[in-house]
Amino acid sequence: MPKLVHVVDDDASFRNSVGRLLRACGYDVAVYESAEELLQQLPEAAGPSCILLDVRIPGVSGPELQDRLARLGSTLPIVFLTGHGDIETSVQAIKAGAEDFLTKPVAKDKLLDAIERAIARHQAAREQHDRLNTLRAKVARLTPRERQVFDLVVRGRMNKQIAHELGTTERTVKAHRQRVMEKLQVESLAQLVSMAERLDALSAATPPVQPVE
Amino acid sequence: MLGGGGSVRHCWRLVVVLVAWLVASVSPAAESRPRSILVFDQSDVRSPFYQAIFSGLRNAMVSGSTSPISIYAENLDLSRFAGAAYAESLQDHLRIKYRDRPIGAIVAIGSATLEQVLRQRAILWPDVPVVFAMVDEPAIARLRPPSDVTGLTMQLSLRDMMIAARAVVPGLRTVALTGDVLASQTAYRHFADEIPTAAADVDVMNLTGLPVAELRKRVAALPDHTAILYTAMYSDGAGTFLPPADALALFSDAANRPIVITAETFLGRGGTGGFVMVPSLIGEGAARLALRILGGEKASDIPIARGDVIRPIFDWRELVRWNVNQTRLPAGSEIRFRPATAWDQYRSQIVVIVTVVLLQAALITLLIYEQRRRRTAETEARNRMAELAHLNRQATAGELSASIAHELNQPLGAMLNNIETAELMLDAGSPKLAEVKEILSDLKRDNQRASEVIRRLRRLLSKSAIEAQEIDLNDTVREVFEFLSTQASARAITLNNRLAPQMLRVRGDRIQLQQVIVNLVVNGMEAVVDGANGDRKITGRTALLNGASVELSIGDSGPGIPLGRLKEVFDPFFTTKSHGMGIGLSIARTIVEAHGGRIWAENQTSGGAVFRMSLPLVQAH
Repeated sequence: MPKLVHVVDDDASFRNSVGRLLRACGYDVAVYESAEELLQQLPEAAGPSCILLDVRIPGVSGPELQDRLARLGSTLPIVFLTGHGDIETSVQAIKAGAEDFLTKPVAKDKLLDAIERAIARHQAAREQHDRLNTLRAKVARLTPRERQVFDLVVRGRMNKQIAHELGTTERTVKAHRQRVMEKLQVESLAQLVSMAERLDALSAATPPVQPVE
Repeated sequence: MLGGGGSVRHCWRLVVVLVAWLVASVSPAAESRPRSILVFDQSDVRSPFYQAIFSGLRNAMVSGSTSPISIYAENLDLSRFAGAAYAESLQDHLRIKYRDRPIGAIVAIGSATLEQVLRQRAILWPDVPVVFAMVDEPAIARLRPPSDVTGLTMQLSLRDMMIAARAVVPGLRTVALTGDVLASQTAYRHFADEIPTAAADVDVMNLTGLPVAELRKRVAALPDHTAILYTAMYSDGAGTFLPPADALALFSDAANRPIVITAETFLGRGGTGGFVMVPSLIGEGAARLALRILGGEKASDIPIARGDVIRPIFDWRELVRWNVNQTRLPAGSEIRFRPATAWDQYRSQIVVIVTVVLLQAALITLLIYEQRRRRTAETEARNRMAELAHLNRQATAGELSASIAHELNQPLGAMLNNIETAELMLDAGSPKLAEVKEILSDLKRDNQRASEVIRRLRRLLSKSAIEAQEIDLNDTVREVFEFLSTQASARAITLNNRLAPQMLRVRGDRIQLQQVIVNLVVNGMEAVVDGANGDRKITGRTALLNGASVELSIGDSGPGIPLGRLKEVFDPFFTTKSHGMGIGLSIARTIVEAHGGRIWAENQTSGGAVFRMSLPLVQAH
């Protein structure tokens, strides 16, 4: 799947030339004259993509756009390009989470590096996100009682303790535990704990044990 | 003139006879003296010397007194008439003549007069004080006047005559003494005693007592280095009596050497000059004393003193005749009869004319100097302004460096992108020629764009001399707004142009006018950024005013200018910014005024400040 670069620059000449270059390098390119135009057609973060943004564009400025995108929940990484990199703007951009900050004129390799890095990081983040989503989906399939057992097991409670806490028999706990392992598709307690760790389920306080009858 | 009078022995008889009667007739009170004086002299009325004494006396009496004083005068003519009978007849004459005339003071001129007066007074006016003048000191010693007689003595000296003689005759070897025999002249008698000391180193040729005819021959044949000393002569030796001045004239024309004289009246009669008695001074001196006595002062309280009546005076014509070096004359010498020069005659006119000419010249010089100074100052001011303007442009350029960098980097970035794309395409083989062509054309355009940025920058910064040319103000404004557009958009400021539809021709320096506009716009931008106003807007307007001038205004949507500071903003070093020198607007004003225009600041009713400038329109030919 070709990677997509969104180019936002008010300078037609630069916009076209950078588009031309990126296309020659095998990217898909979408060009926008202003930040508003980009926001109107807010791209779905379907494939690997990033935004190449001129800091000084009329209307909504680069850092402002970054802000608005973040509020819209977009995770599209932004690579800033500027004709004149003053310290203030750079700091502001980086603080707001800019992937990179390049000064015009920029050499092709440097530009591609920055774009690649941004896309790769975005990609990695997305994959991580996807995996978490898969895990969350699996955990969501547990019954409440199974979830209680899961929470206690990953915190290292013995079956007997769990049975005592939940007010049930050790045997029932064993059966629930077997069901949890099946539903979550793990074969060992270690895998189960690792999954809980990824889901950040350990940091939460021990869930109160509710009698489930 | 000062010839000895005869003795008046017989008058004593008369004195005794008349004493009783006279005592009654004389005013006894010394305190309130009659305002009258009786003046005696020893001459006849024709003598110029005594006339001068008398007029000097009268003038001094008149000018020295507030109330009128009666002046009676008697010319005793003592050099020609003498003897007891004459004295006796005089006494009768005087007694009868002045019977009803009270006399406050008696003035006696000359030694012989004093002698005669003292005798007559004893009989006729015993209580009337006497003032004398021109009496030689030996005579005083001899007469021993009583205490109510005072006056001024006079002493002629041979020494003075010798000083004058040496002055007019350099290398003096001989003096020829002329006049009556010294022994017969009371005023000159003592000269004989002075000869051994005062004239020791010269030969003294005695020509005194000679008849005029003889004298004329002798003075015509004097040797070199000789001076003639003339005392006084009262007769021609042939029976004619005459005043000494006239006697001098009888032989002076024959003299072959200069004649040193003793009286002012001898000047003009052939005398060269010398230490001369000035008769008017004699009269004045006597008058002053007489006035004091009439004023109540006692004669006995006034000591007898020597009168200051002798002055070194010379006749210019004689000095020329005898070729006398004037620098040799005694110090303080007065020279008479010098023909009046143009300076003497027209002194005031000459002074006025010269003064006017000088003043005019000074004025012209001053004006030329001022004009030159002004021209220098103007040139200087122009140069200074150009320098300051240049500095200001550099400062502005510094402030605009971000936008300039941006403007340059934009085309440079595009060019690099295009070049690298072309490289990629060439590397890939079988490039699409159409696309390469397109890339090349873009490269060319971006290159031109970068060049234009640099060209504009150079024009802004160029330190060129002021050159006036006809320009379109609209173009100028447009160019500046274009130049500043990126700067403005980076700060989210809208730059608007509302330019007049027609061409606005003004005469001026394009760079300087642009600088003014840049300054105004940059100031405006700072105002709208600093202000909390959400609407960031700068509007440039041009308009034609009444066909004779054009107006350009730069308005902003900032907070405006406090009312009291609308004028102050143009002062040098006025600034509200944390950076900058505050000379931008002052330079702007200087530039506008140098273009014959005007610049001022206002606040807009809609808010924000507006700077307006008017420039003269160049009429289309």
